[in-house]
Amino acid sequence: MRILVVGDGKVGHTLAESLAREEHSVVIVDNNEEVLQRSEDVLDVMCVRGNGANAQTLLEAQVDKADIVIAATTSDETNMLCCLMAKRLGAKHAIARIRDPEYNESLNLLQHELGIDLAINPERATALEISRLLRFPFANTIESFAKGRVELVEFRAQENDVVVGTPLRELSKKSHGIPQVLYAAVERDGSVIIPNGDFVIHPGDRVHVAADMVTITAYFRFMGKNSLRIKNVMLLGGGRISYYLAKMIAPMGIHVSLVEINEKKAVALSEALPDVNVIYGDGTDQELLEQEGLKQMDAFVTLCDRDEENLMTGLYAVKQGVPKVIVKNNRVAYEEIINAMGLDSIVSPKTITCANILRYVRARAGGHGTKVEKLYQLVNGKAEALEFIAKAGDSYIGVPLKDLNIRKGTLVAVIVRKGKVIVPFGNDYIEAGDNVIIIACESGISDLNEVIRK
Amino acid sequence: MNTRLVIRLQGSILLIEAAAMLPSLLVALIYGDGDAMAFVQTIALILLIALPMHFLARPNERNLRAREGFVAVALAWVLLSVFGALPFLFGGLFTRFEDAFFEAVSGFTTTGASVLTQFEGAPKGVMFWRSFTHWIGGMGVLVLTLALLPQMSGRTSHLARAESPGPSFSKVLPKMGDTAKIMYVIYGVLTLLQFVLLILVSGMSVYDAAIHAMGTAGTGGFSCYGSSIAAFDSVSADVIITIFMIVFGINFALYYRLLIGDVKGFFKSEELHWYIGIVAVSMISISLIILPQYGNFFTALRYGSFQVSSIISTTGFMTADFELWPNAAKMILLLLMFIGSCAGSTAGGMKVVRIALMTKTVKREISRTFQPRKVQVVRFEGKGVEETMLAQVAVFVVAYIALVLIGAFAVSLEGKYDMITNITASLTCVSNVGPGLSKVGPTQNFAGYGPFAKYVLSLLMLCGRLELFPILVLFHPGVWRKG
Repeated sequence: MRILVVGDGKVGHTLAESLAREEHSVVIVDNNEEVLQRSEDVLDVMCVRGNGANAQTLLEAQVDKADIVIAATTSDETNMLCCLMAKRLGAKHAIARIRDPEYNESLNLLQHELGIDLAINPERATALEISRLLRFPFANTIESFAKGRVELVEFRAQENDVVVGTPLRELSKKSHGIPQVLYAAVERDGSVIIPNGDFVIHPGDRVHVAADMVTITAYFRFMGKNSLRIKNVMLLGGGRISYYLAKMIAPMGIHVSLVEINEKKAVALSEALPDVNVIYGDGTDQELLEQEGLKQMDAFVTLCDRDEENLMTGLYAVKQGVPKVIVKNNRVAYEEIINAMGLDSIVSPKTITCANILRYVRARAGGHGTKVEKLYQLVNGKAEALEFIAKAGDSYIGVPLKDLNIRKGTLVAVIVRKGKVIVPFGNDYIEAGDNVIIIACESGISDLNEVIRK
Repeated sequence: MNTRLVIRLQGSILLIEAAAMLPSLLVALIYGDGDAMAFVQTIALILLIALPMHFLARPNERNLRAREGFVAVALAWVLLSVFGALPFLFGGLFTRFEDAFFEAVSGFTTTGASVLTQFEGAPKGVMFWRSFTHWIGGMGVLVLTLALLPQMSGRTSHLARAESPGPSFSKVLPKMGDTAKIMYVIYGVLTLLQFVLLILVSGMSVYDAAIHAMGTAGTGGFSCYGSSIAAFDSVSADVIITIFMIVFGINFALYYRLLIGDVKGFFKSEELHWYIGIVAVSMISISLIILPQYGNFFTALRYGSFQVSSIISTTGFMTADFELWPNAAKMILLLLMFIGSCAGSTAGGMKVVRIALMTKTVKREISRTFQPRKVQVVRFEGKGVEETMLAQVAVFVVAYIALVLIGAFAVSLEGKYDMITNITASLTCVSNVGPGLSKVGPTQNFAGYGPFAKYVLSLLMLCGRLELFPILVLFHPGVWRKG
């Protein structure tokens, strides 16, 4: 597909990188010669210099032939104008990043009038992600697919977990009654393993399990991880993410404390969020945190502007014994170091924004001949989850999985048949029309027949 | 320095070269001059060396950084010339390696300077290869590699930038591989068009038409006749070649604009205006200067315009011995040797865009002396040009002239020939033109130089084709340091 990315900032560059790697034709538009030069140096993309809301520039970037236009400049207004122009000039789909809460309230009208097919609010999307993590505190990340019927949940295995130290095939014998989930992928020392029956989970592994939500919840309850229910949360920093998050979780009966360093902002937040306990003070001050009851908190979320502050206070909270600590961090490069320090739940507005946009793009790309229904990147793109629909007449139909040749490094993770989720074992088989989800360590699989054969 | 990646890349490029020898092998078999074995031997040798390079070198990192990109391009051109020289040796065209190497470098860099003295009875397959090197060297071997090997794309803009002429490189399509493909398609179609015209209109034999179409397309200038295009003595051949030499001196990105129906964009190009302007003024002035010699304006225009087109496009074909022309005409040709054609074409020289930018900068400095506070932005193609770009152009021009002079000095060390000969020999090699003046003039060639001068001139040709810096980088110790 031909994709136009307007705005070569953090998000624009990351998007262009992912899209170019997926063999799309990418054109980047930006005002700044310097950032364009950098993108042109490291990516296989074309760059056009100019204002993204200028028709001349857009035409130079051949917007009329573009399948998707992604407006990700720093200015909401430019993004909206860009989408409006692009649609009028013949682009098929338009995506805009719109972050101002003021616009958010009239978003439906704006989207309709301006022809924006997808409006992404990075702060809102991040808040949504954090709220999910607070609802399921046992998980580090949650991905849902097959229209939300299957959840893929990541957690870190601990020393005394029942799943540690036993080969996976003997788990149900050893711990009777453990709910059947699929062990989709295990991340160990920075590399990804797709486990088989002989695989033994070590403490410290990051394990991805897949099943429907009910089974997953039962699974974590069995492991004794679900005893925690978040009732008290402390948020650090009164930015937009905190605002959206507080608005989302306060009605769920969670008691929210919010620490903000700027007095005016604190007063304004207190006015806007009557249910929230707004504290005016420096959130990096340990004394203040203790005074406000950090130790009694079930969860601590750091949302300051600076990554370093977030990390340091996050580490402090872990040390004080707060059960769930979520840290905002924009620099993806540090993720492995941060994980090693014991902070598991990291959210990055940039990554979340990109993931949302990529999901939309991939859904559009699916219609172009390739048989992949949906594609998700897992573990920073080191593994992929692919969704296919099984076709009548293929050689694998009706054959028990144990009799099929399954490609090395891939796993038939889940079969969804008529809305029912099946975690398949050797005797299960695929029927025509099933949604089949495959986990693969490699990328580039485009057909179910490449993976399983009779 | 990611040595393994560079080695692997060299392997792929050599494999492409082996493949590029197949048409010449076919020609050798058709004409049966007994030179087919030369190609079989060369291809076997290349496969023996390149296959292990391509398949055994396992790069631990696939990213090509600027340093590797430049080194890879420079090394590739040297290796290509070394192996490209082998058919000349095996085919019996030359007996000494420096002659064969000089001829191969001259071919790949589309210079067209020759050390060949015996044209009669030269084997047809080898002579075809000699011109075929022009054709692939013109658009670039790495560009061809990028077009043919899809897994190469990614961080490859360094490769394309190092190889394609002009101060800045821009893709016409978002993907490098697609850009390379469309460029080669445009190039191939234009070459084919000229080939057909030469056969149908001028009545050339298929072999002659192929040789001269490839020589024109790459703006090279090798002919299979000692007297070049004058051998045909045909007005239609002169006119067709004159036009196509100019056509191949135009930025290929502009042809892409025509292809997508943007005719306005094609004619709006400022570099094209400068190019056509320089061509027109030079053609008319030279025709007027040489008018007394030919007596008839149309005859003067025929020879004058051919030579202008041949020199500014840095092709180097000849229809007249311009050594006998008045000094003013020779001086114009000398200036054209410096200028060359448009960026993004197959031609050499400093490129019209740089000349235009330099002229505008000089004009600005002049007006700054009496209006020091006036803010002046140099504009080109309707956009303001960044100061760093202007500085780069100025540095390039200075380095270019310095290289020509240093080259002339090095060649002079042999103690042969006069100053005009040595200076124009150096200039014509750096600019990839072909003929110079005096003892390396249109009816002479480079056979008289000794081995040392031939290697120096070969290096100058490579420097000129890759626009100085990729080759000069090889001599910088920092490049070879670890890390």
